[in-house]
Amino acid sequence: MSFIDSLLAGLSLVGNFESFLALGIGVAIGVIGGAIPGLSATMAVALTLPFTFAMQPITGILLLLGVYKGGIFGGSIPAILIKTPGTPASSATVLDGYPLAEKGQAGKALGMALWASCTADVISNLSLILFAGWLASFALNFGPPEFFTLMLFSLTIIAGVSGESLLRGALSAMLGLLLATIGLDLIYGTNRFTFGDPNMMGGLNFIAVLIGLFAIPEILAMVWNPRSHDGTTRAIGKNWVTFSEYKKSFKSIVRGSFIGVFLGSIPGIGAAPSAFLSYSEARRTSPNKENFGKGEIEGVAASEAGNNGVAGATLIPLLALGVPGDVITAIIIGAFMIHGLQPGPMMFILNVDIIYGLFIGLIVSSVFLFLIGSVAIRGFKYVADIPRGVLFPAVLVLCVYGVFAVNNNIFDVGVMFAMGWVGFVMLRYRIPAAPFLIAFILGPLLEDNFRQAMLMSGSSPLILFRGPITWFFWTMTAITVVAIVHTGIRATRKGLDQHKENEE
Amino acid sequence: MHNRTIQVQLGIGAILASAFLLLIAIPNWVSSPSNVPNIILSPLFWPNTLAGLTGIVGLGLILTSIPAPKPVTEEASDVDDRAAAYFRLLAMAIIMALTMFALPRLGMVWTSMLAFASVALLIKTSHPKAALISAVVMPLVLYLFFAHVAGVAIPQGLFVRLP
Repeated sequence: MSFIDSLLAGLSLVGNFESFLALGIGVAIGVIGGAIPGLSATMAVALTLPFTFAMQPITGILLLLGVYKGGIFGGSIPAILIKTPGTPASSATVLDGYPLAEKGQAGKALGMALWASCTADVISNLSLILFAGWLASFALNFGPPEFFTLMLFSLTIIAGVSGESLLRGALSAMLGLLLATIGLDLIYGTNRFTFGDPNMMGGLNFIAVLIGLFAIPEILAMVWNPRSHDGTTRAIGKNWVTFSEYKKSFKSIVRGSFIGVFLGSIPGIGAAPSAFLSYSEARRTSPNKENFGKGEIEGVAASEAGNNGVAGATLIPLLALGVPGDVITAIIIGAFMIHGLQPGPMMFILNVDIIYGLFIGLIVSSVFLFLIGSVAIRGFKYVADIPRGVLFPAVLVLCVYGVFAVNNNIFDVGVMFAMGWVGFVMLRYRIPAAPFLIAFILGPLLEDNFRQAMLMSGSSPLILFRGPITWFFWTMTAITVVAIVHTGIRATRKGLDQHKENEE
Repeated sequence: MHNRTIQVQLGIGAILASAFLLLIAIPNWVSSPSNVPNIILSPLFWPNTLAGLTGIVGLGLILTSIPAPKPVTEEASDVDDRAAAYFRLLAMAIIMALTMFALPRLGMVWTSMLAFASVALLIKTSHPKAALISAVVMPLVLYLFFAHVAGVAIPQGLFVRLP
């Protein structure tokens, strides 16, 4: 199929009212979800997922992608107006966004956040379109040993960079992998931790685990401390961003977008580190560097470009390799699976219309983001006024309905509640949840590829080092572990030195 | 909690979990055919490997906590009254257990209404009227969507059935 044929096939799939409506609604839900502190883009995507079951695959996936895009931008609104990032990705936006709001220039900061987000979004989407196909055609050469080493590398980097320490991330990933072993054995069909219960034989339901892990702990955190999300909303003010200010920050926006694309395409890094890196690069190169942290509009532009640059790029490993780049794409992979689609290189051959449909939808989503974002900035007051005492019980009810709807099974609701407590304990013990979920998704694939490789080689582990692709992933895994351990040792030494100084 | 305390507690927890898996859970609840030609292909290999690695990670967590500075002062609590916070968590656990019990008996709509109202009460909502209205309206709206649009067979319960 030529490029034009693929594009037309994609257009025929999404060139209808429902697809664009789903995309628009998705962006609106995302902006609202991201703008409500405590709800986050991740939870918004997780809660929207059950509503996509009854939709066409492309419509449902576009709805979720809209929520994702909207959610990342939406997080910047409370970051600027109430100094509380709606999503972790917006943490860097607080640094200059809130000081601007204190000066009565919140409208300017929000406007710049929107323009930078949309620009980064376009760059990220174009990168996805350029690189995903190329990477997928390369990945067609992968066999089980290559996929095993790729997943091992992804899990290592996810475990290493998601939380405060590699070991806590590794513990989280181990728990996720162990949970994924529940069910019938992939080759022999024997029971593993099923306790004779037919509900457990197919393994734990993915949606129940993810909603339990990402929505229920927020409700429990609210129960633990009902006053945790109180804050004062700043007025938007009369100043709005001008084109000359956008032009002045354009270099930082483009740089931040490419930082986002680069970090987003590596599985596991996510939007928050990208936003901070983009922000620090903008500060380092700016002539107004002393103004950063005190209300510099370029700082808002850089951090928003950094986090939105990730949004399209995280779909590169998802679509091309079948490996989710972050938690949100891990949820989106669930939508693919529910509709019987398996992201990965084969999808570029078997479902090319869906791939190109998604590309078209993503480009259009940037326009929706601009339009809906402009309205959302002015309407934030109403979103911020939603009482938490009504919102969180509503989220609980939404979770119960959504999880039940997957398999029409009350057992899944129980799994969700149980995973909610696991997630809450992880939250209290500062164990990152992302490695757990991604390991839970990749677990069966990791084991399956490992055992297939062993079957191919007559149980010789040398097959896992059979060629340049496996060597590359082993080297990357080793470099990642060494870099993370080195950083950990340096941080511990620094802490010890500070402690000694304090004692003296 | 201090970082060092967390690290030690997690390490001990991971080692205990690993020991439990290796000594009790895997031998009792993972079955393997007797004619597996190679240990690597056995259904036991993967859970055993993961359990072993969990233990090693636990050991690593304890070892890395040794050079960390000992906490001198108590870390400030994130809640004013910890006892009340724990009580609320216990109440939430009971609400969840009762929800599971009531779902097949009362049906999803009525159970959700009760769960909504109980959680709103538990967190002492500042908008009781809005919470009460939402507790009734939201489960009904979700029922309409899932039962009549998405075609999901929402549990109706033994007493009152909805159209």
